Amino acid sequence: MDIVCVGINHHTAPVEVRERFAVSEGKLGEESVRIRELEGIEEGVVLSTCNRTEYYAAAEDCRTAREQLRRFLQIHAGDQLHAEHLYEIEGAEAARHLCRVVSGLDSMVLGETEIFGQVKKAYQTALESGSTSRTLNKLFQKAFGVGKKVRTHTGIQEGQTSVGSVAVDLAEKIFGHLRDSRVMVIGAGEMSRTTAQSLLSRGARSIFVTNRSFDRAEELAKELGGQAVRFDDWEGVLKEVDVVISSTGAPHAVMDRSHVEAVRRKRRYRPLFLIDIAVPRDIDPAVGEIEEVYLYDIDALQEIAADAKGRRSEQIAVCERIIDQELAKSGLF
Amino acid sequence: MAQWLLVSATVLVVLGGVLGLQAVRVGHRSRWTLVCMLGAFLCQLGVLWVRGELRGKCPLGDYGEILAFLAWSLVLFYLVVGSTYRLSLLGLFTAPVVVIFQVFALAPGMLEAAPEKIHQVDAWGETHAAFSVLSYGAFALGSVAALMFLVLNKKLKDHEFGSGLFKSLPPVRSLVDSVVRLTVLGTGILTVGIFAAFMMERNDSWAHLLAAVGTWGAYLVVLVLHFWRGITPRRLSISVMSVFVLSLLVFAFV
Repeated sequence: MDIVCVGINHHTAPVEVRERFAVSEGKLGEESVRIRELEGIEEGVVLSTCNRTEYYAAAEDCRTAREQLRRFLQIHAGDQLHAEHLYEIEGAEAARHLCRVVSGLDSMVLGETEIFGQVKKAYQTALESGSTSRTLNKLFQKAFGVGKKVRTHTGIQEGQTSVGSVAVDLAEKIFGHLRDSRVMVIGAGEMSRTTAQSLLSRGARSIFVTNRSFDRAEELAKELGGQAVRFDDWEGVLKEVDVVISSTGAPHAVMDRSHVEAVRRKRRYRPLFLIDIAVPRDIDPAVGEIEEVYLYDIDALQEIAADAKGRRSEQIAVCERIIDQELAKSGLF
Repeated sequence: MAQWLLVSATVLVVLGGVLGLQAVRVGHRSRWTLVCMLGAFLCQLGVLWVRGELRGKCPLGDYGEILAFLAWSLVLFYLVVGSTYRLSLLGLFTAPVVVIFQVFALAPGMLEAAPEKIHQVDAWGETHAAFSVLSYGAFALGSVAALMFLVLNKKLKDHEFGSGLFKSLPPVRSLVDSVVRLTVLGTGILTVGIFAAFMMERNDSWAHLLAAVGTWGAYLVVLVLHFWRGITPRRLSISVMSVFVLSLLVFAFV
């Protein structure tokens, strides 16, 4: 029995094409059964995430299976096949591809961990619906084993690759758990919102939002479950918070050394983490010279994220070597 | 017997330190460091028991015993300070200090070969010696945590994150909390030691007691500053380390 994979992903198609092929989580089992019922196909698993939709099939004749899957997808996509966006892989290459997917090597964010669970869910659903048997069971079990080994034996998921995640990691390095940490957002832009949400998702206790337009501050505060503060009053809140995220469109520094000096004693010299993601910068770099202040601007955060991406990229060759070794040992091909 | 136990303790601490260092280089934590420190602690207990039996009193009769007692108290506080710190780098940072104390204790002439057995002991004198040295274990470990904070602080300020050391260091807030906790503990224990010193029969000069009171007062000032008006974590750490080193120097001469 051989293995075939026909699919579409973020490397081969834009989102407006990918969305035509998306299969909702609730229909994955049903879809797996449908492809198993196609002529010449013995087993099937359907994987569908925001970045990819892939059909894995086990068949005696690969050529027939590929044709059947292509025709099946044509029905899915409606009048247009989008053939140029589809890829078809078979045999050892299909197995290798699945291992790369499970290990996060084929993901948009290299090494991301969510895909492992998504593939596991897709396989479990297919298994429960009875659309898998010996070949795909063995293949997927092997792929999970390889994925685990890749993630534990390499640095493919080390470090953070987005500005928001880097900021959260740094906040945890300063404050430990964020349950007792208070956050102030200056400027109600998109970057502030994302970074604040990352901090809240890791447990930050309360959030204050200030903006030149108070309406916008109230709107964001409501969205984040926080409290809006008038722009003229943010200095008064500074003594209470542990983390400040600043992202205004101001052409000059919004916070300078005197603002922090004025509240140091009231804050009892507690550590203060300042995240300045505005360009031009909102926080005067001299503020970072204050002993208990840790100031990071957008360049510093992006540099950390780029370093992590670089380190992950350096791990690709190691990961692929593990995948090749494990597949060679598996006796699947 | 005591020497061999002390050698074993030293070997175990070195082993724990090396394993910890290897783990840190790859960004992991070493549970074996804790196991080695536990083994070292048992060997140290053996040393103190043997010496105590020989002397018939608290084994603080010569420099070797004082250093062995100090190394034991350092490991004791390391073991009781909390799992977060035990599994992190505190063991790695503690190991060199313990090794230094024990290597000096093992130097020729430091441990009297046949100490005179005492049949009547001054309870206040014993309490003073034991509690004072014990407090130094807490102060030493507080200084280790302070050093760890200073390393982490520098890395955070200079935006240096790549090393395994950075990944393995506990958060700033935890380190500062442990510096404060250990300093409070050490000061509390030293208070008992100093009280006992006033109660014991005195046949030596007052310089020793004055140095002890001076150390106690210096730690108290740091704590009052911290709790009353606040102090930056960096200044707190430098103060705690400075008082510890200075007091060791003072005691070396009185």
